[in-house]
Amino acid sequence: MASAEAGRMESALADSTDLRVWDLPVRLLHWLLVIGIGVCWWTGVHNELEYHLWSGYAILWIVLMRLYWGLVGSSTARFVNFVRGPKAILDYASTLHRRDTPHAHGHNALGAISIILMLSLVLAVVVLGLFAVDVDGLYSGPLSLYVTFKQGRHLAHSHYYWFNILLWVIGLHLAAVIFYFLYKRQNLIGPMIHGKRRVDAAEAADADMMIAPLWRFVIGAVIITAIVYAVSVGFYF
Amino acid sequence: MSALGIRRLAVAVCVTFGLAVLEAAAGPAEIAQIKPRQDKLRDMGGAQKAINDEIKKGRIDWDNTVIPNAQTIKDRSAYLLNWFPKGSGPETGKKTYALPAIWQKNDDFVKLGKAVQGEAAKLNQVALSKDGNALKAQMEALGKACKACHDSYRSPDYEKENEDE
Repeated sequence: MASAEAGRMESALADSTDLRVWDLPVRLLHWLLVIGIGVCWWTGVHNELEYHLWSGYAILWIVLMRLYWGLVGSSTARFVNFVRGPKAILDYASTLHRRDTPHAHGHNALGAISIILMLSLVLAVVVLGLFAVDVDGLYSGPLSLYVTFKQGRHLAHSHYYWFNILLWVIGLHLAAVIFYFLYKRQNLIGPMIHGKRRVDAAEAADADMMIAPLWRFVIGAVIITAIVYAVSVGFYF
Repeated sequence: MSALGIRRLAVAVCVTFGLAVLEAAAGPAEIAQIKPRQDKLRDMGGAQKAINDEIKKGRIDWDNTVIPNAQTIKDRSAYLLNWFPKGSGPETGKKTYALPAIWQKNDDFVKLGKAVQGEAAKLNQVALSKDGNALKAQMEALGKACKACHDSYRSPDYEKENEDE
Protein backbone atom coordinates (compact mmCIF):
# COMPACT_ATOMS: atom_id res chain seq x y z
CA MET A 1 0.00 0.00 0.00
CA ALA A 2 2.69 2.45 1.06
CA SER A 3 4.90 1.55 -1.86
CA ALA A 4 2.00 1.80 -4.27
CA GLU A 5 1.25 5.24 -2.90
CA ALA A 6 4.88 6.29 -3.26
CA GLY A 7 4.93 4.90 -6.78
CA ARG A 8 1.88 6.84 -7.72
CA MET A 9 3.31 10.04 -6.33
CA GLU A 10 6.52 9.47 -8.20
CA SER A 11 4.74 8.95 -11.47
CA ALA A 12 2.58 11.98 -10.72
CA LEU A 13 5.66 14.10 -10.29
CA ALA A 14 7.33 12.64 -13.30
CA ASP A 15 4.41 12.64 -15.61
CA SER A 16 1.86 15.29 -14.79
CA THR A 17 0.17 17.81 -16.97
CA ASP A 18 -1.99 20.91 -16.71
CA LEU A 19 -5.55 20.36 -17.78
CA ARG A 20 -8.15 23.04 -18.22
CA VAL A 21 -10.96 22.77 -15.72
CA TRP A 22 -12.79 26.12 -15.71
CA ASP A 23 -13.27 28.09 -18.90
CA LEU A 24 -13.00 31.88 -19.06
CA PRO A 25 -16.74 32.64 -18.70
CA VAL A 26 -17.04 30.50 -15.54
CA ARG A 27 -14.07 32.21 -13.90
CA LEU A 28 -15.12 35.66 -15.05
CA LEU A 29 -18.68 35.23 -13.80
CA HIS A 30 -17.45 33.79 -10.50
CA TRP A 31 -15.18 36.72 -9.67
CA LEU A 32 -17.61 39.31 -11.01
CA LEU A 33 -20.21 37.83 -8.68
CA VAL A 34 -17.80 38.12 -5.75
CA ILE A 35 -17.23 41.80 -6.55
CA GLY A 36 -20.92 42.40 -7.25
CA ILE A 37 -22.05 40.89 -3.95
CA GLY A 38 -19.39 42.87 -2.10
CA VAL A 39 -20.54 46.14 -3.66
CA CYS A 40 -24.22 45.32 -3.04
CA TRP A 41 -23.51 44.43 0.56
CA TRP A 42 -21.62 47.64 1.27
CA THR A 43 -24.03 49.95 -0.56
CA GLY A 44 -27.01 48.21 1.03
CA VAL A 45 -25.71 48.52 4.57
CA HIS A 46 -24.71 52.15 4.02
CA ASN A 47 -28.01 53.07 2.37
CA GLU A 48 -26.27 54.12 -0.87
CA LEU A 49 -29.19 52.86 -2.88
CA GLU A 50 -28.33 54.57 -6.16
CA TYR A 51 -25.23 52.41 -6.49
CA HIS A 52 -27.00 49.48 -4.86
CA LEU A 53 -29.45 49.45 -7.77
CA TRP A 54 -26.64 49.43 -10.34
CA SER A 55 -24.73 46.65 -8.64
CA GLY A 56 -28.01 44.75 -8.27
CA TYR A 57 -28.58 44.89 -12.03
CA ALA A 58 -25.01 43.69 -12.52
CA ILE A 59 -25.68 40.70 -10.26
CA LEU A 60 -28.92 39.91 -12.09
CA TRP A 61 -26.93 39.88 -15.33
CA ILE A 62 -24.20 37.67 -13.86
CA VAL A 63 -26.63 35.11 -12.42
CA LEU A 64 -28.70 34.91 -15.60
CA MET A 65 -25.48 34.49 -17.61
CA ARG A 66 -24.33 31.70 -15.30
CA LEU A 67 -27.68 29.91 -15.63
CA TYR A 68 -27.46 30.27 -19.42
CA TRP A 69 -23.85 29.04 -19.39
CA GLY A 70 -25.02 26.10 -17.28
CA LEU A 71 -27.11 25.02 -20.26
CA VAL A 72 -24.86 25.75 -23.25
CA GLY A 73 -21.40 26.36 -21.77
CA SER A 74 -18.30 24.21 -21.46
CA SER A 75 -18.68 20.71 -20.04
CA THR A 76 -17.65 21.56 -16.47
CA ALA A 77 -20.06 24.54 -16.46
CA ARG A 78 -23.14 22.53 -17.42
CA PHE A 79 -25.68 21.55 -14.80
CA VAL A 80 -26.34 18.17 -16.44
CA ASN A 81 -22.70 17.27 -15.89
CA PHE A 82 -22.38 18.15 -12.22
CA VAL A 83 -25.81 18.02 -10.59
CA ARG A 84 -26.14 14.47 -9.22
CA GLY A 85 -28.78 12.42 -7.49
CA PRO A 86 -28.95 11.70 -3.75
CA LYS A 87 -26.98 8.45 -4.01
CA ALA A 88 -23.97 10.04 -5.66
CA ILE A 89 -24.10 12.86 -3.13
CA LEU A 90 -24.23 10.45 -0.17
CA ASP A 91 -21.46 8.32 -1.65
CA TYR A 92 -19.27 11.37 -2.04
CA ALA A 93 -20.15 12.68 1.43
CA SER A 94 -19.13 9.37 3.00
CA THR A 95 -15.59 9.78 1.64
CA LEU A 96 -15.28 13.40 2.75
CA HIS A 97 -13.12 12.55 5.78
CA ARG A 98 -10.56 10.70 3.64
CA ARG A 99 -7.52 12.41 2.18
CA ASP A 100 -6.74 9.97 -0.62
CA THR A 101 -9.92 10.43 -2.63
CA PRO A 102 -9.49 11.47 -6.23
CA HIS A 103 -9.83 15.14 -7.01
CA ALA A 104 -13.00 15.80 -8.99
CA HIS A 105 -12.44 17.45 -12.34
CA GLY A 106 -15.09 20.12 -12.05
CA HIS A 107 -17.68 20.34 -9.27
CA ASN A 108 -17.93 17.36 -6.94
CA ALA A 109 -21.35 15.96 -6.01
CA LEU A 110 -21.52 17.86 -2.72
CA GLY A 111 -20.16 21.11 -4.14
CA ALA A 112 -22.93 20.99 -6.74
CA ILE A 113 -25.52 21.44 -3.98
CA SER A 114 -23.73 24.50 -2.74
CA ILE A 115 -23.56 25.96 -6.27
CA ILE A 116 -27.29 25.42 -6.84
CA LEU A 117 -28.10 26.79 -3.38
CA MET A 118 -25.98 29.91 -3.85
CA LEU A 119 -27.28 30.64 -7.35
CA SER A 120 -30.90 30.22 -6.23
CA LEU A 121 -30.39 32.39 -3.17
CA VAL A 122 -28.66 35.13 -5.13
CA LEU A 123 -31.45 35.08 -7.70
CA ALA A 124 -34.12 35.11 -4.97
CA VAL A 125 -32.48 38.05 -3.19
CA VAL A 126 -32.19 39.98 -6.46
CA VAL A 127 -35.82 39.32 -7.40
CA LEU A 128 -37.00 40.47 -3.95
CA GLY A 129 -34.87 43.58 -4.42
CA LEU A 130 -36.51 44.33 -7.78
CA PHE A 131 -39.86 44.70 -5.99
CA ALA A 132 -38.52 46.29 -2.80
CA VAL A 133 -39.63 49.77 -1.85
CA ASP A 134 -37.12 52.16 -0.35
CA VAL A 135 -38.60 54.15 2.50
CA ASP A 136 -37.23 57.44 1.20
CA GLY A 137 -38.94 56.91 -2.14
CA LEU A 138 -35.65 57.69 -3.86
CA TYR A 139 -34.40 54.42 -5.26
CA SER A 140 -37.03 51.72 -5.11
CA GLY A 141 -36.66 48.53 -7.15
CA PRO A 142 -37.62 48.88 -10.83
CA LEU A 143 -40.60 46.53 -10.47
CA SER A 144 -41.87 48.14 -7.26
CA LEU A 145 -44.59 49.92 -9.21
CA TYR A 146 -46.37 46.56 -9.44
CA VAL A 147 -46.77 46.31 -5.63
CA THR A 148 -48.20 48.62 -2.96
CA PHE A 149 -46.01 50.66 -0.61
CA LYS A 150 -46.68 48.27 2.26
CA GLN A 151 -46.03 45.12 0.21
CA GLY A 152 -42.88 46.72 -1.14
CA ARG A 153 -41.64 47.48 2.37
CA HIS A 154 -42.24 43.88 3.41
CA LEU A 155 -40.36 42.70 0.33
CA ALA A 156 -37.49 45.02 1.26
CA HIS A 157 -37.29 43.32 4.64
CA SER A 158 -37.41 39.87 3.02
CA HIS A 159 -34.66 41.06 0.69
CA TYR A 160 -32.54 41.82 3.76
CA TYR A 161 -33.49 38.58 5.55
CA TRP A 162 -32.62 36.29 2.65
CA PHE A 163 -29.39 38.15 2.02
CA ASN A 164 -28.31 37.17 5.52
CA ILE A 165 -29.11 33.53 4.76
CA LEU A 166 -27.03 33.88 1.60
CA LEU A 167 -24.11 35.19 3.66
CA TRP A 168 -24.20 32.03 5.78
CA VAL A 169 -24.14 29.84 2.69
CA ILE A 170 -21.24 31.86 1.29
CA GLY A 171 -19.50 31.33 4.63
CA LEU A 172 -20.03 27.60 4.25
CA HIS A 173 -18.60 27.76 0.72
CA LEU A 174 -15.47 29.53 1.99
CA ALA A 175 -15.17 27.04 4.86
CA ALA A 176 -15.31 24.18 2.36
CA VAL A 177 -12.57 25.74 0.22
CA ILE A 178 -10.36 26.12 3.30
CA PHE A 179 -11.13 22.54 4.37
CA TYR A 180 -10.04 21.21 0.98
CA PHE A 181 -6.90 23.30 1.10
CA LEU A 182 -5.81 22.41 4.63
CA TYR A 183 -7.14 18.89 5.09
CA LYS A 184 -7.30 17.42 1.61
CA ARG A 185 -4.34 19.40 0.25
CA GLN A 186 -6.36 20.42 -2.77
CA ASN A 187 -6.07 24.01 -3.92
CA LEU A 188 -9.43 25.02 -5.36
CA ILE A 189 -8.67 28.73 -5.56
CA GLY A 190 -5.83 28.56 -8.10
CA PRO A 191 -7.88 26.76 -10.77
CA MET A 192 -10.69 29.33 -10.33
CA ILE A 193 -8.11 32.01 -11.16
CA HIS A 194 -6.02 30.52 -13.98
CA GLY A 195 -8.46 27.83 -15.09
CA LYS A 196 -5.99 24.91 -15.00
CA ARG A 197 -5.42 21.99 -12.72
CA ARG A 198 -2.35 19.78 -12.43
CA VAL A 199 -3.27 16.14 -13.00
CA ASP A 200 -1.18 13.01 -13.46
CA ALA A 201 -1.09 11.36 -16.84
CA ALA A 202 -3.28 8.45 -15.78
CA GLU A 203 -6.09 10.75 -14.79
CA ALA A 204 -5.62 13.11 -17.70
CA ALA A 205 -7.23 10.71 -20.17
CA ASP A 206 -10.69 10.72 -18.55
CA ALA A 207 -10.66 14.29 -17.25
CA ASP A 208 -10.91 16.01 -20.56
CA MET A 209 -13.05 19.04 -20.95
CA MET A 210 -15.22 20.25 -23.80
CA ILE A 211 -14.74 23.99 -24.28
CA ALA A 212 -17.72 25.97 -25.53
CA PRO A 213 -17.04 28.59 -28.22
CA LEU A 214 -16.98 32.19 -27.01
CA TRP A 215 -19.54 33.36 -29.56
CA ARG A 216 -22.16 31.48 -27.58
CA PHE A 217 -21.26 33.60 -24.58
CA VAL A 218 -21.57 36.76 -26.67
CA ILE A 219 -25.02 35.81 -27.98
CA GLY A 220 -26.21 35.10 -24.44
CA ALA A 221 -24.70 38.35 -23.21
CA VAL A 222 -26.63 40.35 -25.81
CA ILE A 223 -29.97 38.68 -24.99
CA ILE A 224 -29.49 38.85 -21.23
CA THR A 225 -28.39 42.49 -21.37
CA ALA A 226 -31.67 43.24 -23.16
CA ILE A 227 -33.64 41.34 -20.49
CA VAL A 228 -31.90 43.14 -17.63
CA TYR A 229 -32.50 46.47 -19.35
CA ALA A 230 -36.21 45.66 -19.72
CA VAL A 231 -36.39 44.75 -16.03
CA SER A 232 -34.53 47.92 -15.01
CA VAL A 233 -37.18 50.12 -16.66
CA GLY A 234 -40.00 48.06 -15.15
CA PHE A 235 -41.06 46.87 -18.63
CA TYR A 236 -42.21 50.41 -19.46
CA PHE A 237 -40.60 51.52 -22.69
CA MET B 1 -61.09 24.92 35.50
CA SER B 2 -62.69 27.89 37.22
CA ALA B 3 -59.93 28.12 39.83
CA LEU B 4 -57.39 28.16 37.02
CA GLY B 5 -59.48 30.74 35.19
CA ILE B 6 -59.50 33.04 38.22
CA ARG B 7 -55.77 32.66 38.68
CA ARG B 8 -55.21 33.56 35.03
CA LEU B 9 -57.48 36.54 35.38
CA ALA B 10 -55.54 37.71 38.44
CA VAL B 11 -52.25 37.43 36.55
CA ALA B 12 -53.69 39.29 33.58
CA VAL B 13 -54.97 42.08 35.83
CA CYS B 14 -51.60 42.42 37.56
CA VAL B 15 -49.72 42.51 34.27
CA THR B 16 -52.12 45.06 32.79
CA PHE B 17 -51.85 47.37 35.79
CA GLY B 18 -48.11 46.87 35.93
CA LEU B 19 -47.76 47.92 32.30
CA ALA B 20 -50.14 50.83 32.83
CA VAL B 21 -47.95 52.12 35.67
CA LEU B 22 -44.81 51.77 33.53
CA GLU B 23 -46.43 53.63 30.67
CA ALA B 24 -47.59 56.38 32.95
CA ALA B 25 -44.00 56.80 34.08
CA ALA B 26 -42.89 57.25 30.46
CA GLY B 27 -45.56 59.84 29.75
CA PRO B 28 -48.77 58.81 27.97
CA ALA B 29 -48.90 61.90 25.75
CA GLU B 30 -45.43 61.18 24.36
CA ILE B 31 -46.14 57.48 23.90
CA ALA B 32 -49.35 58.36 22.09
CA GLN B 33 -47.26 60.17 19.47
CA ILE B 34 -45.32 57.15 18.30
CA LYS B 35 -47.89 55.12 16.43
CA PRO B 36 -49.63 58.02 14.64
CA ARG B 37 -46.31 59.53 13.59
CA GLN B 38 -45.22 56.19 12.13
CA ASP B 39 -48.53 55.93 10.28
CA LYS B 40 -48.26 59.46 8.93
CA LEU B 41 -44.67 59.07 7.79
CA ARG B 42 -45.67 55.83 6.10
CA ASP B 43 -48.50 57.62 4.33
CA MET B 44 -45.99 60.17 3.09
CA GLY B 45 -43.79 57.33 1.82
CA GLY B 46 -46.81 55.83 0.08
CA ALA B 47 -47.62 59.17 -1.56
CA GLN B 48 -44.01 59.52 -2.68
CA LYS B 49 -44.11 56.03 -4.15
CA ALA B 50 -47.33 56.78 -6.03
CA ILE B 51 -45.70 59.80 -7.70
CA ASN B 52 -42.47 57.93 -8.44
CA ASP B 53 -44.47 55.11 -10.04
CA GLU B 54 -46.02 57.63 -12.43
CA ILE B 55 -42.54 58.87 -13.34
CA LYS B 56 -41.38 55.30 -13.95
CA LYS B 57 -44.32 54.57 -16.20
CA GLY B 58 -43.51 57.64 -18.29
CA ARG B 59 -47.22 58.39 -18.61
CA ILE B 60 -47.95 60.75 -15.78
CA ASP B 61 -51.49 61.00 -14.45
CA TRP B 62 -51.35 64.50 -12.99
CA ASP B 63 -54.93 65.06 -11.89
CA ASN B 64 -55.68 61.70 -10.27
CA THR B 65 -52.31 60.81 -8.81
CA VAL B 66 -49.57 63.43 -8.76
CA ILE B 67 -51.52 66.48 -7.59
CA PRO B 68 -53.43 64.81 -4.72
CA ASN B 69 -50.34 62.95 -3.48
CA ALA B 70 -48.16 66.06 -3.66
CA GLN B 71 -50.85 67.81 -1.63
CA THR B 72 -50.76 65.01 0.97
CA ILE B 73 -46.98 65.28 1.29
CA LYS B 74 -47.12 69.05 1.66
CA ASP B 75 -49.95 68.95 4.22
CA ARG B 76 -48.30 66.26 6.31
CA SER B 77 -44.87 67.86 6.20
CA ALA B 78 -46.27 71.00 7.82
CA TYR B 79 -46.83 69.00 11.03
CA LEU B 80 -43.64 66.97 10.80
CA LEU B 81 -41.80 68.71 13.62
CA ASN B 82 -44.80 68.48 15.96
CA TRP B 83 -44.62 64.69 15.89
CA PHE B 84 -41.39 64.54 17.86
CA PRO B 85 -42.04 66.07 21.29
CA LYS B 86 -39.27 65.64 23.84
CA GLY B 87 -39.70 62.33 25.63
CA SER B 88 -41.18 60.42 22.68
CA GLY B 89 -37.96 58.56 21.85
CA PRO B 90 -36.65 55.17 22.99
CA GLU B 91 -37.01 56.24 26.65
CA THR B 92 -40.74 55.50 26.34
CA GLY B 93 -39.82 51.81 26.24
CA LYS B 94 -41.96 51.51 23.11
CA LYS B 95 -40.66 50.28 19.82
CA THR B 96 -39.48 53.33 17.94
CA TYR B 97 -36.63 53.95 15.53
CA ALA B 98 -36.41 57.61 16.53
CA LEU B 99 -32.89 58.10 17.88
CA PRO B 100 -32.11 60.14 21.02
CA ALA B 101 -29.96 62.37 18.76
CA ILE B 102 -33.21 64.03 17.63
CA TRP B 103 -33.41 65.79 21.00
CA GLN B 104 -29.68 66.01 21.65
CA LYS B 105 -29.03 67.84 18.39
CA ASN B 106 -32.46 69.34 18.08
CA ASP B 107 -31.35 72.44 16.14
CA ASP B 108 -29.98 70.31 13.33
CA PHE B 109 -33.06 68.09 13.39
CA VAL B 110 -35.33 71.10 13.10
CA LYS B 111 -33.22 72.49 10.26
CA LEU B 112 -33.55 69.22 8.31
CA GLY B 113 -37.27 69.07 9.04
CA LYS B 114 -37.75 72.60 7.69
CA ALA B 115 -35.77 71.66 4.57
CA VAL B 116 -38.29 68.86 3.96
CA GLN B 117 -41.15 71.33 4.35
CA GLY B 118 -39.53 73.60 1.76
CA GLU B 119 -39.05 70.78 -0.75
CA ALA B 120 -42.60 69.53 -0.16
CA ALA B 121 -44.01 73.01 -0.86
CA LYS B 122 -41.95 73.20 -4.07
CA LEU B 123 -43.19 69.74 -5.07
CA ASN B 124 -46.74 70.95 -4.73
CA GLN B 125 -46.04 73.87 -7.10
CA VAL B 126 -44.30 71.59 -9.61
CA ALA B 127 -47.28 69.21 -9.53
CA LEU B 128 -49.62 72.07 -10.38
CA SER B 129 -47.30 73.16 -13.24
CA LYS B 130 -47.51 69.62 -14.75
CA ASP B 131 -43.90 69.66 -15.93
CA GLY B 132 -42.59 66.08 -16.08
CA ASN B 133 -38.87 66.88 -15.94
CA ALA B 134 -39.31 69.32 -13.08
CA LEU B 135 -41.34 66.68 -11.23
CA LYS B 136 -38.56 64.13 -11.58
CA ALA B 137 -35.94 66.61 -10.31
CA GLN B 138 -38.13 67.75 -7.42
CA MET B 139 -38.90 64.16 -6.32
CA GLU B 140 -35.16 63.55 -6.13
CA ALA B 141 -34.64 66.73 -4.14
CA LEU B 142 -37.43 65.76 -1.73
CA GLY B 143 -36.14 62.19 -1.41
CA LYS B 144 -32.70 63.51 -0.54
CA ALA B 145 -34.17 65.80 2.09
CA CYS B 146 -36.01 62.83 3.64
CA LYS B 147 -32.88 60.69 3.50
CA ALA B 148 -30.68 63.37 5.12
CA CYS B 149 -32.79 63.19 8.24
CA HIS B 150 -33.24 59.41 8.18
CA ASP B 151 -29.49 58.88 7.85
CA SER B 152 -28.77 60.74 11.09
CA TYR B 153 -31.88 60.40 13.21
CA ARG B 154 -33.44 57.03 12.43
CA SER B 155 -32.02 53.79 13.81
CA PRO B 156 -30.46 51.53 11.14
CA ASP B 157 -32.43 48.70 12.78
CA TYR B 158 -35.32 50.02 10.75
CA GLU B 159 -34.00 48.10 7.75
CA LYS B 160 -33.64 44.88 9.70
CA GLU B 161 -37.07 44.55 11.20
CA ASN B 162 -40.56 44.48 9.84
CA GLU B 163 -42.45 47.54 10.95
CA ASP B 164 -45.72 46.86 12.70
CA GLU B 165 -48.95 46.63 10.78
